[in-house]
Amino acid sequence: MKILKNSVLPFMLIFLALGCSDYLDVEPTDTHEIEDSVYFQQEADYQAAVIGTYDPLQWMYLNTLIGDIASDNSLCGGESATDVIGLQQIDDMTHNPNNDNLTNLWKWCYEGVNRANYLEENKTKLDFDGKEALYGEVYFLRAYYYFELVKFFGDVPVFVDRRLDASDSGNIPRSPKADVYTQIETDLRDAIAVLPTTQSQSGRVTKYAAQALLGKAYLYQEKFPEAATTLNNVIGAFTLVDDFESQFLKSGENGIESVFEVQYTNTSEWYDWDYVPQGTEGNFGIIHNGPRADIAGYARGWAFNVPTQDLYDAYDSEDTRREATILTYSGDASSLAGYEQTGYFNHKYIPRAGESGAQTELNYLNNYRAIRYADVLLMAAEANARGNISDGLAQQYLNEVRRRAFGDLDHDITSSGNTLVQAIWNERKLELAMEGHRFFDLVRTGEAASTINGFTTNKHEVFPIPQLERDISGITQNEGY
Amino acid sequence: MRLTLYTFLALLFFTTASAQNHTISGTIIEKDNGMPIPGANIIVKNTNNGVVSDFDGLFTINEVPNGATLQFSYVGFVTYEVVINKSTTLNIQLETDVASLDEVVVIGYGSQKLSKVSGSVSKVDSESIETLKPVRVEEALQSSATGINVVSNGSPGKSPAISIRGVVSAQGSSPLVVVDGVIQGIDDLNTLNPSDVESINVLKDAALTAIYGVKGGNGVIVVTTKSGKKNQKVTVNFDSSYGVQEVIRQVDVLNASEYAAILNEASVASGGDIIFPDLSTIGKGTNWQDEVIETAAIQSHNISVSGGSEKISYFFSGGFLGQDGVVGGNDKSYFDRTSLSGRINADLSDKFKLIVNTNYANIKDKSLSENNIGSVLSNALNFDPMVNPYNSDGSFGISETITQEIINPLTQLDNTYNEGNTNKITGKLELQYKILDNVKLTSRFGYNYVDVYTKNFTPLVYYGVGHNGTTANPDLSPIITTDAETGEETSTHNRVSESNTNYFSYTYELFGNYDFNLINENHNFETVLGLSLSRNSGENITANAQDIPFNSWSYADVSAATGDNASQTSGSWQYLNKNMSYFGRLNYDFNNKYLVSILGRYDGSSTFGDNNRYGLFYAASLGWVASNEDFFNSEIIDFLKIRGSYGATGSDNLGDNADAQFSSINTFPQYTFDGNIVSGSTLGSIPNPDLSWETQKQLNAGFDIRMFTNKISMSADYYQKDVVDLIFRPSPSLYLGDIAAPSGNVGASKTNGVDISLGYNNEFSDDFSFSTNINFTTVNTEVTKVDNGGADFVLGAGYGIPYTIISRFEEGETPWYFYGYQTDGIFQTQEEIDTHATQTGAQPGDIRFADINGDGVINDEDRTNIGNPFPDFTFGWNASINYKNIDFNIGTYASIGNDIYRAYERNSTYTNRFASTLDRWTGPGTSDSEPRVTFEDTNNNTRASDRYIEDGSFFKIKNLQLGYTIPNVPGISKLRLYAQVKNVYTFTKYSGYDPEISSGSVSDTGVDRGTYPIPRIWSVGLNVNF
Repeated sequence: MKILKNSVLPFMLIFLALGCSDYLDVEPTDTHEIEDSVYFQQEADYQAAVIGTYDPLQWMYLNTLIGDIASDNSLCGGESATDVIGLQQIDDMTHNPNNDNLTNLWKWCYEGVNRANYLEENKTKLDFDGKEALYGEVYFLRAYYYFELVKFFGDVPVFVDRRLDASDSGNIPRSPKADVYTQIETDLRDAIAVLPTTQSQSGRVTKYAAQALLGKAYLYQEKFPEAATTLNNVIGAFTLVDDFESQFLKSGENGIESVFEVQYTNTSEWYDWDYVPQGTEGNFGIIHNGPRADIAGYARGWAFNVPTQDLYDAYDSEDTRREATILTYSGDASSLAGYEQTGYFNHKYIPRAGESGAQTELNYLNNYRAIRYADVLLMAAEANARGNISDGLAQQYLNEVRRRAFGDLDHDITSSGNTLVQAIWNERKLELAMEGHRFFDLVRTGEAASTINGFTTNKHEVFPIPQLERDISGITQNEGY
Repeated sequence: MRLTLYTFLALLFFTTASAQNHTISGTIIEKDNGMPIPGANIIVKNTNNGVVSDFDGLFTINEVPNGATLQFSYVGFVTYEVVINKSTTLNIQLETDVASLDEVVVIGYGSQKLSKVSGSVSKVDSESIETLKPVRVEEALQSSATGINVVSNGSPGKSPAISIRGVVSAQGSSPLVVVDGVIQGIDDLNTLNPSDVESINVLKDAALTAIYGVKGGNGVIVVTTKSGKKNQKVTVNFDSSYGVQEVIRQVDVLNASEYAAILNEASVASGGDIIFPDLSTIGKGTNWQDEVIETAAIQSHNISVSGGSEKISYFFSGGFLGQDGVVGGNDKSYFDRTSLSGRINADLSDKFKLIVNTNYANIKDKSLSENNIGSVLSNALNFDPMVNPYNSDGSFGISETITQEIINPLTQLDNTYNEGNTNKITGKLELQYKILDNVKLTSRFGYNYVDVYTKNFTPLVYYGVGHNGTTANPDLSPIITTDAETGEETSTHNRVSESNTNYFSYTYELFGNYDFNLINENHNFETVLGLSLSRNSGENITANAQDIPFNSWSYADVSAATGDNASQTSGSWQYLNKNMSYFGRLNYDFNNKYLVSILGRYDGSSTFGDNNRYGLFYAASLGWVASNEDFFNSEIIDFLKIRGSYGATGSDNLGDNADAQFSSINTFPQYTFDGNIVSGSTLGSIPNPDLSWETQKQLNAGFDIRMFTNKISMSADYYQKDVVDLIFRPSPSLYLGDIAAPSGNVGASKTNGVDISLGYNNEFSDDFSFSTNINFTTVNTEVTKVDNGGADFVLGAGYGIPYTIISRFEEGETPWYFYGYQTDGIFQTQEEIDTHATQTGAQPGDIRFADINGDGVINDEDRTNIGNPFPDFTFGWNASINYKNIDFNIGTYASIGNDIYRAYERNSTYTNRFASTLDRWTGPGTSDSEPRVTFEDTNNNTRASDRYIEDGSFFKIKNLQLGYTIPNVPGISKLRLYAQVKNVYTFTKYSGYDPEISSGSVSDTGVDRGTYPIPRIWSVGLNVNF
């Protein structure tokens, strides 16, 4: 039995030793992971997380495309009637809750919201100089994402305290549209309070950008006095460029007319299909707008979002914006392969030769001019006119835009009242065509039903909540879908 | 005694008897294979007079009294006796003792006589494997084991989808694999040479799997490899086969003139013009399937050497298997495996025994894009049939009309460059210490080291001007563009990616076995108690570079790339998890009649949340061997055992990617300021501290019976599995954004089923024997709970563009059922549309969808269960006949009641259509199943619906083999030639390549996105024993 004792003893000891040991413990450093508990201990961590919050802005190409495709400005186009079926349906006002494009758009906007909220969650961990101003950028971005959501979907879930985790899945109902706007206003007011008017790096949010966006949010709610007052802060801080077209070129990026611009570059090494649109730094929307034909100075694209004849005809022949907005294909239009081709292309956001990166289609460097000063002027004009504040100011702002377009004073508008409002709306169409604003302008002004074929009132003002989200989260659907 | 019926004697010749004492000499051989038996005992019964046979099985014994009984015995063989009345030479053939050898099953941390096992096990022996000659050993389980569902994969070397007793969980149902006691994963079977396998036991119920605790819940596949025997002469076994593979079915697509006519009709229907005015000149065009599918070779060569001395036995083997792909041929698709293995069992002393197993395997492979919309086969099915494969200048044909996604599959094949090289060493070092005769301590270190290198080259390619896959000019030079504004040039690049991944895992186990009996040896106990520590880790590093000289595979390497530093990118990842467990088992029997087994395992795993690291798993079983009762006296029934078990096992199904253990920061986000890319961050993962294992409570009841002198045998089991705390990675609300939600324990399922195996085995004469068996398996699973946030389901497999998810794991349904619209014929007239529920966009000739919820509107609420990818039952039937020197084997397999979702149709404007389109609706009364053709599908006829569901039931003749053993070849103990046909024929109604559809993942079962077809294989081979 001695031998038994001798061998069982160490056996028992190993048992006991292991029982008390931490054999199972695995540390984050074992796999070189940065656990969030060690993060936000230096200013650089905050700076990085803010950059992370800007990142989803670059994925918003669909928001821009849909703003025109859904409107009377453009047709969906593409290779064939089945090419990006989700966009085709939106063009035809036959879209339904199963729409890949809307599902992505929804999810990407919310990724932006969550990244902003993650900073909110960690706000108190460290203090450093400039922290308040940095958070001004965060609040602007959160408002930007919520504004996209409320524009597209109306009532949406709203949450601000922290990045959501799995326990929140399915537990957050939609907030009424008014509450979403309240949150947007709060964020923007907080941002305005702390943001500087200029930033050292182009692309960062300024106080003016926040004021412009707040003005826009007021205008969408028809809070005209608030809109006028807020936008008034921006008036005079920017200048319209002389040559309308020049601001859409690379050399015109972040120019004197630019209030807020989503930044892109073609130099990313993560340029291929696997990373579109979230991993690349290029503007994936651009290739959609290109012609399926060779035009000198331009690159081939996929012929989506083609301007209609009506849009072309809406411009006065003396209006410099016509050629700047619409590229006319001078070749034989019938030879253009593609669907619903009109012979016109979106000249503001078109693939220009050599401006993509190593993957020639996906990496266009074109920034998206999200808020231009001309937009601010026209919003201010509208707020003044519709709010019965000052038709004179309204005319002044409107005509500032028209004088640049025509290069003379002969095309000034002198009307007032409702005629003036109509003139401002028409000017928004001409000035901002193919920049992704038209559909939402038509909806908020009540003009959509009379302008868009197939538009059903009390349904198409908003897009359907993605079916996937409804299936998972059990939230309600918009009326009519 | 019943067993003597198996005993067999051949007396070759007699000599005349001498006087009182006789001298007897001769040889002792194995009846099965004619191998000599060294070390056999020859004794004059009831005396001390005995000798032992030598290495050649020869013996001589003197002084045998007239009339004495001579006894021949050897472990594992039935003892033979003969009465001696003269001096003679005897040639004794000893019969393998079925009861003593075949009936030992390897269970966790020990082995047990099958007659004493009170759990449920299905056993596949080396013969079944040798007969089938599988590329992967799992193939043999398909028709030869019960309770296991194997869906084969046609792609060379790729793993099949396997589940034991049902797909009870959403996250995965892969069984545990234990090779010679070393725990491995199911994927590790790709490196195992099937001809090294001695037996496979499939452990199915808790009574056997609970000893593996948290890993045992999905069943355990226990593989035992061959080893040498002590005192065995050197034996060499050589086996070689060569075969040709072919694809036997094609999908019926439109030829060029049919395609043109359909396109004309579709164009006109959507208000366009006739596209092809003259159909008469178009002809049949190109059948792209013919272009990419070819016959391909398969070969296998194995050699093994085994033997043993008094103290040491050994087994060494080497093998090569080469399988070329039937799609794309051996340039682009193959699987080559070279394996070497060695096992040594050494008695270091009376007390200590050392076992060393070492297996090395190398796999070289190339593969194609498979089972997705961009796969070679999907392109072959959907590409324009009017395009010629090659232009007159030898370049690849190009479609002018298809400018995205779908491409000439030959161009795709030409542009596919990749290679994989896997080196793997796995094995164990085991030291057994016999403390007393009945107390043994085992210390075992099992390890598994895998090194996987892959390289992927993306050359500059040309699919036509304006095609979104094109990255080169027609001459394959890079496309260089100049920015009109700035004059900056940008260029396209080819790109190479090299990746190296190491996996290392070890398991250290220390356990003691103590066997004893009490009270006149009536009460028998076998006990085991032990602990196990294991660690699994993996790490990867990947490097990418661009601008490979000459756009050539020959130079495709990061070292040869000429791109600048900025273009060289890299990445890495790693994981680590650990397990610690204690386990024990007590087996008890009373006189081999009443069997009791109690076992448990206390398991800790680092993969679970901090709050739930340890779990207890247990089982108990009872058995009654009725045939051993004194009162049991049946002429018919030789053996009858009734058994039952109940227990709880676990599953740590966390899928391929172990779950997040920490909240970690993701540093991939980037943005651009001042035109420069800046790096950002956000939260990348969230753990679930409450994450725990799945608990499976399983009840099993069954019986084993052998009748008619063991000619007929049957095993039947009924089981019920209740699984709670199902783990899955939920599909969280989209408003959580992109972050990966952690897995949670949020579901339950109930499964029941029946496993029945029935065998018949008879040796009618020396020259003729016949055996057959049928294995029958049913599985019924219902998902009883899913709590996925607000939803009661998890989303599964999807397909197509736009991506559509087709399967769900949902409360109240069968696992991964197909979810979509139900069709209800075709609208013949506008009137029919008007009277039907509102279906936006419908026109006459469009599909009428059923208004399932009866609300008068056809919308997403009307989607419903439209199919089940899993069968109602499966069965395998195998038979073998031996007549003189000829042997014949047949193996079949059937799967009944499984549905297939046809997901390979691209349905784009200019892509090809399928033969069913020819029966489309063209006016009232023309069709009630196939809708009109149009470019503008306003009714969304292509939405996910039962239009794409087909009955995937099949009956397959898997294997036919005819062998001939050439007798009496000098110097060779056995020489056998054989011819084999595998996947001979499939009886099915399915219209695709093959109704067995698997991409290796259970949740993908039955979704056919252009699956690699399972080829028919014609082969010949020879088998030599020295």
